[in-house]
Amino acid sequence: MTTIRIRNIIFGLIVLILLIILPFILSEVQLNMAIEIAFFGLFAVSYNLLLGYGGLLSFGHAAYFGTGAYFTVFACKFVAGMPLFLAVLIGGLGGAVMAVIVGFFCVRLSGTYFALLTLAFNQLIYSIALKWRTLTGGDDGIGFDKPAIHLPLIGKLDMFSTPNVYYVTLIVVLISLALLWFFLKTPYGNTITCIKDNEDRAEFIGYNVFRSKLTLFTMAGFFAGIAGSLFVIFAEFVSLDAIGLTMSTEILFMTFIGGTGSFLGPVLGAGVFIYFTEWVSDITEHWEFFLGLLFVILILYANKGLISLIPAKLKEFFGKKAPVGGER
Amino acid sequence: MTALLQINSVYKDFSGLKVLVGIDLTVEHGERHAIIGPNGAGKSTLFNVITGKYRVSNGQIRFKDQDITNWPAHKVSRIGLARSFQVTNIFPSMTVYENIRNVIVSKKRMRFNMFTRLGNIENVNAETREVLETIGLETSSDISAGELAYGHQRALEIGLALAMEPELILLDEPTAGMTTEETRDAVKLIERITAGKTLIIIEHDMDVVFSISDRISVLHYGKILATGTAEEIKENQEVKKAYLGSKK
Repeated sequence: MTTIRIRNIIFGLIVLILLIILPFILSEVQLNMAIEIAFFGLFAVSYNLLLGYGGLLSFGHAAYFGTGAYFTVFACKFVAGMPLFLAVLIGGLGGAVMAVIVGFFCVRLSGTYFALLTLAFNQLIYSIALKWRTLTGGDDGIGFDKPAIHLPLIGKLDMFSTPNVYYVTLIVVLISLALLWFFLKTPYGNTITCIKDNEDRAEFIGYNVFRSKLTLFTMAGFFAGIAGSLFVIFAEFVSLDAIGLTMSTEILFMTFIGGTGSFLGPVLGAGVFIYFTEWVSDITEHWEFFLGLLFVILILYANKGLISLIPAKLKEFFGKKAPVGGER
Repeated sequence: MTALLQINSVYKDFSGLKVLVGIDLTVEHGERHAIIGPNGAGKSTLFNVITGKYRVSNGQIRFKDQDITNWPAHKVSRIGLARSFQVTNIFPSMTVYENIRNVIVSKKRMRFNMFTRLGNIENVNAETREVLETIGLETSSDISAGELAYGHQRALEIGLALAMEPELILLDEPTAGMTTEETRDAVKLIERITAGKTLIIIEHDMDVVFSISDRISVLHYGKILATGTAEEIKENQEVKKAYLGSKK
C-alpha cells in the first residue's frame, strides 16, 4: 500500500514538474493549446460530475461555462481594480447561481426529460445573451482589459504574456481538480454514487434525492463557470459561441471521448479533442466530418472512452476507481 | 401510552382503481404484526402509502404521535420507520460493504459532508462491519451486491432496513422467491435480528406468519377483514370464507 502511495506521489511530482516547465519547452502555439486543454479539461470534468458520477445526461452545460465567462468580464468591467482571482471566483459563482436556478426545475426529472429541459434552458439563456445587447454585446460579443496580478515580491504580472496566462490557468485548474477529487471521496461523493446506483432505495434510507442532485448540479455549474472564466482570460473576449449549444455538444464529445468512467478521463478527452481538431483542420477544411467519424467509431467500438484503451496499470493514475458503477 | 403506528381510514385509488378502501390499523410498541391476504389485496400498496412512496387519497397515518401522512420517503425513513422490498431493491453496482455503509452515512446525518474523507470516518466503518456481521454477510463484504446469491441479496435487502436502527420495521415478503431451505434460514435471521423490535411483515407463507408474528391482519380487496392472534384468525368465519378456506 505504502509503496503504491510513494510511487503515486513520485509520478504526481514528475507530472507537476513537467507542467511547470511546459512554457519553456513548447512553442507559443503549442502553449496556447495547452491552456485550452487545461480549461476545457476542467470544463469536461465538471460535466462528468453530472454524466459519469450522477448519471445525468445534460445537453446544456455550456450555459454555465458561458455565464462564468460573461460574469468575469462584467466583474472586471464594472469594478475598477478587480483582482484577477476574485474575477475568476465571481465567474464560478455566476455559473453556480445559474445552475441552481436551472437545476431546481431540471433535477426533479430524469432521463430524456432531464436532457431536453437542460437543452431548452441552455437555449433560453443563449437568447438572453443574444438579446441583452447593452450588457453582453449580443452577437458582437464583449471584450475587456484583463486585470494584472500584483504579487508582493515579484511585482506586476500582466495577462498579455502567454506563459503568465498558462500559469494562472494551471493553478486554478489544479486547485479545482484537487477539490473535486476530494469532494468525491467524502460522504457527499458517496451520496452521489448511491443515488446514481439506485435512486429509489436511496430515498428509503433517508437520502433527499432532489437536494443531493441539485447540489451536484450547482457544483458542476460552479466549476464550469470557473472554466469559462479561465477561457475569457485566455481569449480576452467572450461571444455567444461560449454559451451556445455547439459548445454544449463539444463538451459532451470531449467527456465521452476521454471516458466517463474515471476522474481524469475527460481531461484526456479534452486534450485529444483539441489536438485532433487542430491537426485535422490543418489538413482539411472538412475537419468536422472527421471529428464526427471519430465519435461514431468510439461509440461503436470503445464506448467507455479512450481511457478504457489504456493499460490497467497506467489507468490507476487517472483514478480508475473513481465512480462506483460509473462503467456499464 | 399511545400506539406506535396508527392508520385511520386510509384510502388509495389509482385513477379510479380503488386499491385501499378505508384501512384502520393500530400497531403497538413491540408488537409483531403480520399482514396476509391474496394477491392484489393491497398489501404492498399499504406499505407504500405508509412509507411515503405513494400519497394517500384520503385518511391519516400517525407514527410516534406525529402525523406523517404524505411525508416524502426520505423523511419517513429518518424518523425511525424503515422498510424492505418484495422485489430486491439494493445498490447493485456497489459492494455489500458500501450498501450498508450508505445507510450508516445517512443515519449519522453525514449525507452532505464534503469535508472529511469517508474512508477515514472510523465509527462509520466500525458500525458498517457490525451490521454486516449481524446479517451474516461479513465474508461477502467486497462482492458487488448485484453478483450476490439470491438468498444473500434478500439478507442484504433486510439489512438495509435494519441498519437504519428503526423503531418500526416493515418487511415486504422477505422470503419471496426462496426455496424451502432458504426460507427456513431467512426466518431464523429475521427472528434473530428483529428480536424486541416492532415489526410489520407481509407474508404468504403461513408457517412463516405463524412463527414470526403475534398478531395478524387479513387484507381483502383493500379492507382489513379481521385482526387478531393466530388462533382467532384461524377460527374467523369470514377469513375462512375469503382466504384460508379457499385454499383447502
